[in-house]
Amino acid sequence: MIKCLNLKKIYPLKSALGYAALKGINIEIRKGEFAAVCGPSGCGKSTLLNILGFLDIPTEGKYFFMGEDASSFSDSKRSFLRRKKAGFVFQSFNLLPKLSVIENAMLPLLYLGVSRKDAHKKAYSLLERVGLSSKSENDIMELSGGERQRVGLARALSNDPEILLADEPTGNLDSENSLQVLTLLTEINKERKMTVIMVTHDMKLAAKAERIIKIKDGEIQE
Amino acid sequence: MRFSEILRIALIEIKAHKMRSFLSFFSISIGVISIMYTLTLIYSMNYRLKKAIEVAGPGRINVELKKRWEAQSDMEKKQGREALTYQDAAALSRVFPQLYMVSPYMDKWVEFSDGYFSDYIGVRGITPQWKKRGWVYKLKGRFINEYDVQNAQRVCVIVKEGGWIKKPKWMKFYSYKDPLQNYVKHSELLGKTIKLGSGLFKVVGILEEPPAEKNPRSFVGVGMWEPKVLVPLSTAQKFLSGWSELGSDDIDGIHVDTGDPQTIEKYKRLIEETLKSLHGKKLLFNIKDYREIMKDQMADKKRDMLTVMIIGAIAILAGGIGIMNVSLAAIYSRIKEIGVRRAIGADKKDIMLQFMTEAMLLGFFGGLAGVIVGFIGIQYLAYKGDQNMAMLSWWMPLAAIAAAVFTGFAASIYPAKTAANLDPIEALRYE
Ligand SMILES: Nc1ncnc2c1ncn2[C@@H]1O[C@H](COP(=O)(O)OP(=O)(O)OP(=O)(O)O)[C@@H](O)[C@H]1O
Ligand SMILES: [Mg+2]
Repeated sequence: MIKCLNLKKIYPLKSALGYAALKGINIEIRKGEFAAVCGPSGCGKSTLLNILGFLDIPTEGKYFFMGEDASSFSDSKRSFLRRKKAGFVFQSFNLLPKLSVIENAMLPLLYLGVSRKDAHKKAYSLLERVGLSSKSENDIMELSGGERQRVGLARALSNDPEILLADEPTGNLDSENSLQVLTLLTEINKERKMTVIMVTHDMKLAAKAERIIKIKDGEIQE
Repeated sequence: MRFSEILRIALIEIKAHKMRSFLSFFSISIGVISIMYTLTLIYSMNYRLKKAIEVAGPGRINVELKKRWEAQSDMEKKQGREALTYQDAAALSRVFPQLYMVSPYMDKWVEFSDGYFSDYIGVRGITPQWKKRGWVYKLKGRFINEYDVQNAQRVCVIVKEGGWIKKPKWMKFYSYKDPLQNYVKHSELLGKTIKLGSGLFKVVGILEEPPAEKNPRSFVGVGMWEPKVLVPLSTAQKFLSGWSELGSDDIDGIHVDTGDPQTIEKYKRLIEETLKSLHGKKLLFNIKDYREIMKDQMADKKRDMLTVMIIGAIAILAGGIGIMNVSLAAIYSRIKEIGVRRAIGADKKDIMLQFMTEAMLLGFFGGLAGVIVGFIGIQYLAYKGDQNMAMLSWWMPLAAIAAAVFTGFAASIYPAKTAANLDPIEALRYE
């Protein structure tokens, strides 16, 4: 489903060469796989995830998504892929504080052009799935960190993505909440045969994934 | 994303920053008010001008003796000894039978008396041609006819003012009442014999004017005063003993209507030539295009309106800059939000539309507020007696709101583009 060939990302710096955050990544991830990406800080995990999630483009190399070369897609094509095929879960949740819990969860559906009524229904069932249906009309500010991340998960799932990308989803949570979020991720991976790629520092959490991808200095050390 | 959703987000955003939103639409409102004010003025003035010309006749030309102080040179002053005569008018209608109206007139000041009532008034001698233009009246009895003119009959027709449907407040301070009109209002004069100067005249007709609000003759007030008692021209020349410096066949002027504005210039020239051939250099006269007279009267008002219009435009511009400022400031406080929306699938167009809708909505609210305040103000002014204000057309508020919305649109293009072009990753990372 995902295939990276010699993927490089070089950030332009004032010095002529620039900084190579990814130095030629080659990986393949099958549909329905649950992969954990580990490695020291600054090794390029987020950079890789952003490319896999169509937020960024590689400087060099190819990124095949479902057989298509996504490394040279235009901004609007990548926006379309994010809207349609990808779901993001962030370390700092990135929920919109002006909107209620359920409005946050249904936002991707609205960008897909789904009617408010249908989006509401779908989002509500997802909030039920993550155990937050009783707080669907609450303000984001009224939720605990663990609850916020579960809203984030519901939002990421609302468009039925092909691939779920989580960048340190437990980075801001205590161990109890971390475990709860991780359990949800594994369950969803099983239930929906959804490809999940999760970046984490925590080796204990990474151990629960089917597969661990270790990165160091922009290179894979599997 | 559906437009209803974009609208909803815009409303949430405007509500979240009430003061900021209020400030930026405040000056838009002021601009809209002044634009609406000017539009009303322009519209009603044009309407009045059109009505006045319609009533006066589309091809109206006034031929008048040059006043003494209008004579240009000493030479002219010495030469100008002759006056226009009834024969001139007769000649004009003979030479140019295609003229729709050739209406000679003369005015005299005489004493009107009937029983115990008496008052000095203006009387106008006319021919039946008079009724061809400006006929806004309801006639009781009959009008002056050819027979009256040819035989110098001692008959008269009295114009009865229509009063007001609803008298404007300012008119109440102006307490002067025309004694004759007051008398006409309270006594039945039709068929009666009254005295004009030393002669007896039979009142054969009463011309009832429509109420002032509906009387196009009163729309253009200045310079339109006319005597309210009409007699046959020949009778005025022969029997009215009032003071006048004219000779026995002389008249004050001729009102001409060519029937078509296209032919005004042509007939101005032809009439001038004809009159010169009849009198040589001894007649000093003016031929005035009625539209020119009206337009001169309107010119001053138009300048005032232009000033108000410019103030309005500046206010709207200031409002636009305000909106631009607000939108730009909003981007910085919403970088993170933009990043999130982009990450979950919003494309550049969505973000752009979002910001533009918000600004246009601000413009719309500003315009709406301006229209409401302006509408109330204009109604109030109209009630206060500024007649120009009475005519507010349905499209004016729409035009004003459209201008405000457009301002929002124009002001938001740059901020919206800036927001749309933010890099999603950097926007997401922004704290
Ligand atoms: N826009 C940028 N310009 C220049 N360098 C950048 C940019 N973004 C990231 N980098 C650099 O690229 C390297 C990899 O960054 P990345 O965010 O992928 O690391 P990471 O593995 O996610 O680290 P962490 O675990 O701390 O999140 C870092 O050294 C970082 O400084
Ligand atoms: Mg990172």
